[in-house]
Amino acid sequence: ETVLIHGEAGPNRGARANALQWFADQVAERSSGDLRMDIQWGGALFKANAAVQSLADGVADTGSVIAVYYPQEMAAYGIADLPVNNPDAWVGMRATDELMRTNEAVAENLAEKNLVYIGTWTTSQVNIGCKGDAIRSVADIEGKKVRGVGAYGKVFGEAGANMVNMSIYDAYQGLDTGLIDCSQGYSYAVSALKQAEVMDNYTMLNWGQVGGVGIFMNKDMFDSLTAEQQEVLTTTGADMADEFGRMITIANDKAIASMKEQGVEIIELPDAERAKLVEGGQKFLAAWVETAEASGLPGDKMLEDYAALIAKYTQERDTNGYPWAQSGN
Amino acid sequence: MDAATIGLIAFGAVLFLLAMRVPIAFSLASVATVGTFFIFAFRTGTFMPERAIRATTSMVFSNSFDLIHSYDLSMIPLFVALGHIAYRADITTKIYHAAKVWLTRLPGGVAMASVMGCGGFSAITGSSIACASTMGRICTPEMLRMGYDPRLATASVAAGGTLGSLIPPSVLFIIYGIFTETSISSLFLAGVLPGLLTLAGFILVIAIWVWRSPEIAPPTDVRYSSKERFRAAMESWPAVMLFVLIIGGIYGGIFTATEAAAVCVVAATLIGFAQGKLNLKGLWDAVKETCIQTSAIFFIAAGAKIFVAFIALTNVAPMIVNVVSDAQLSVVVLMLAIAVIYLVLGMFLDPIGIMVLTLPLMIPLVESYDLNLIWFGVVVIKLLEIGLITPPVGLNVFVIANVVGKDAPIDKIFAGITRFLSVDVIVLALIMSFPMISLLIPLGAR
Amino acid sequence: MLVPLEKILLGLGAIAVILLGVLITTNVVARAVFSSSVPDSVTMVRELMVAAILLPLGAATANRAHISVAFISDQFGPRLRSWLIVIGSVMGLIALAALLYAGTREFLSVWEKGSFFYGDLNLPKWPGRLLFIIGIGACWLRLAELAIRDTRTILSGGIVSDEQNHTIDALAEKEVL
Ligand code: NA
Ligand code: NA
Repeated sequence: ETVLIHGEAGPNRGARANALQWFADQVAERSSGDLRMDIQWGGALFKANAAVQSLADGVADTGSVIAVYYPQEMAAYGIADLPVNNPDAWVGMRATDELMRTNEAVAENLAEKNLVYIGTWTTSQVNIGCKGDAIRSVADIEGKKVRGVGAYGKVFGEAGANMVNMSIYDAYQGLDTGLIDCSQGYSYAVSALKQAEVMDNYTMLNWGQVGGVGIFMNKDMFDSLTAEQQEVLTTTGADMADEFGRMITIANDKAIASMKEQGVEIIELPDAERAKLVEGGQKFLAAWVETAEASGLPGDKMLEDYAALIAKYTQERDTNGYPWAQSGN
Repeated sequence: MDAATIGLIAFGAVLFLLAMRVPIAFSLASVATVGTFFIFAFRTGTFMPERAIRATTSMVFSNSFDLIHSYDLSMIPLFVALGHIAYRADITTKIYHAAKVWLTRLPGGVAMASVMGCGGFSAITGSSIACASTMGRICTPEMLRMGYDPRLATASVAAGGTLGSLIPPSVLFIIYGIFTETSISSLFLAGVLPGLLTLAGFILVIAIWVWRSPEIAPPTDVRYSSKERFRAAMESWPAVMLFVLIIGGIYGGIFTATEAAAVCVVAATLIGFAQGKLNLKGLWDAVKETCIQTSAIFFIAAGAKIFVAFIALTNVAPMIVNVVSDAQLSVVVLMLAIAVIYLVLGMFLDPIGIMVLTLPLMIPLVESYDLNLIWFGVVVIKLLEIGLITPPVGLNVFVIANVVGKDAPIDKIFAGITRFLSVDVIVLALIMSFPMISLLIPLGAR
Repeated sequence: MLVPLEKILLGLGAIAVILLGVLITTNVVARAVFSSSVPDSVTMVRELMVAAILLPLGAATANRAHISVAFISDQFGPRLRSWLIVIGSVMGLIALAALLYAGTREFLSVWEKGSFFYGDLNLPKWPGRLLFIIGIGACWLRLAELAIRDTRTILSGGIVSDEQNHTIDALAEKEVL
């Protein structure tokens, strides 16, 4: 029996934790008990902003990595965070997973850092909830005090928002006291943190997601495993996108339903307004390409491939439906 | 040798080094470093020192660096600086003078007022350490100056500091809420009555202690005229203004609790300059004092953080929880066992570390007994707060010792704290026996 | 040699604390009054924290500000107690050596890669790491000096005290008198 220590910065509750637990259970089952994951939750071994060097140095064998903490080192994975037209969690994960798994430049870049890609999650699509006046158009963003994250936050800032920097856990109190008017978020997280209690409305942006969240592994450890063990890890990692897609879609639908029940107005941003946001994100794509090329990655080519992959999996979803819906019915 | 054995040996080694006068920060960090090295070196069965050195040093670095490289914890040096500046600008002396004048006939009155001040400060900060370091800096020197016994002047504030996490806002409740998917606002409300109950208990301790040994508090036979009282109250306006600024700013949506610390430092400095009580030299000395103290406090906290990561590797925590879970205990015995586990871990580890290590296993166990998670959260936080003032590793006590210096060595503070600990145990028993104490306000709010 | 270095580092730490107060307050005022903010203020606060906490560590060590549990060893004779104080410094040297080694490796790594924090200004990661090495390094040097000086004192028949050099006490006494 080989025990793999996994470092996870988050708690053992919620959709991401359930998917990680599923991954651990599947690894044990598919290897017939030959591989076992020992998950250290809550950043007991290392916090999210120390994950890359901790994995490279072998503090844990596998671990959860969030790309936004490593704009330079994890430039390749950061492609999944870009504010492109990418609203579907499953499509986004499938596209990210295929890019990370098949692109040779990416694999080489990771190998230099003593890392191997295993599998991916996503935060799912970025939305925004407010207390008081709602965001019904891009023009409504102007003058609002907004807690934003990543390139999405920068686009809100460009649209005239007054950006306030605080953690998602402080957003509840921030909305409650009026320190912020709006908070960028993901439906299941808004629900888990009970933010609906202090929100009057929630605008579905149908825009993009923060998808650079996934499992990586120490390369020395990966190389020391047998071919069968490696196969178990990579195939289970690939299958995680389907499993997490199922979980997160259900969790988000539930979250929206419960927000409606609590009297939060759910608003769909019109297509024309959404196009403005996607347009506003363009300049941040250019900045990403620069960073990627500085670390030796073919930035423009990767963006092209990524867009093609999003199109491919959108097409697949539209013709066949989600994989869990096919097998479920 | 398996990891769990290394973990148990490590607890013993820390105890031994502490007894041998090795500074607390060095004891925790060196044992954790050596222990981690052994775990990594023998992981594969064969001795692999090179890989172990890399993994060990990486782990100790990232855990200590992340603790210091923190936005939220910037409130600690800032609030400590506020204490120093307010002291030099006469702001604390004035409010303490007012407390003395108004409470002169109440034996131990100023100590009681200090503990209530801790309760008030808890409503601003979410961290017990911030609470203890700020109030320790403000209250203890003033009480010593008035003639309070060092044991009372230190222990009351070390204990009062533990209100920081029970009275909302509270970092510990936020982390508990994230780990259990319970409502953070319900947890905050649930902490209010237990927090006030603890506060009342501490005041009672002071009353009884002073009643039985009157010599530990200044005499109560001094009389002040109503004119003197009025003047004392009027002269304490800068402290009142700072308090209004903090509460108004946080609850009025102008700034966060972390930002409040910075705003108050700036405000206290301006008041000091305007009143001519503070000059640039005084400000500079105050900030340098702050640096010496906070660096020592943070270094202990960093040692504790490294120790937690090491204990995570040993899997000692799941081992302990599994023993309890396999024993199929009745609810009452289970809760007693949980209390013992948290109290023992609280002797060595810091609250956040204990939660991160135990909650993933403890919560499913508690759920299988169908216990209310909000109430259980209050019990856990109360237990963790007690751990902050129990020997040998009681972070609040170290903070006070650091701030006060040679007048109060830590064994003296621990000696004073036993009285507060006994009332803590009674409050804990009440909270455990009557869940309604915790649940009344959250249920009422619904 | 060490004393002036520690004084400078303590002064820089004090400046960092003042900057923390000014930076955060400026951000509050910018938000409340001008509907704007200081770019990347959170990242700057984090980097300043390393300076504020670690640069004074050498001075704190020189003041013997690291707290220890005294009541058991107070029962021992003064010479044994003196040796224990030296052992305490040696344990500190062990713990800090690991930090210093890893900190240097981490600094070189972020320097070579050009790592930066995601944000408005994409600030580089190396300054915080460099401050870490300087602070821990100064503390290590002072501990080594204390260990050697204390050992010499004991060997020449003297005893050593780890009583903290408390400037506050001196001030408090002055004001009382
Ligand atoms: Na509090
Ligand atoms: Na303790």
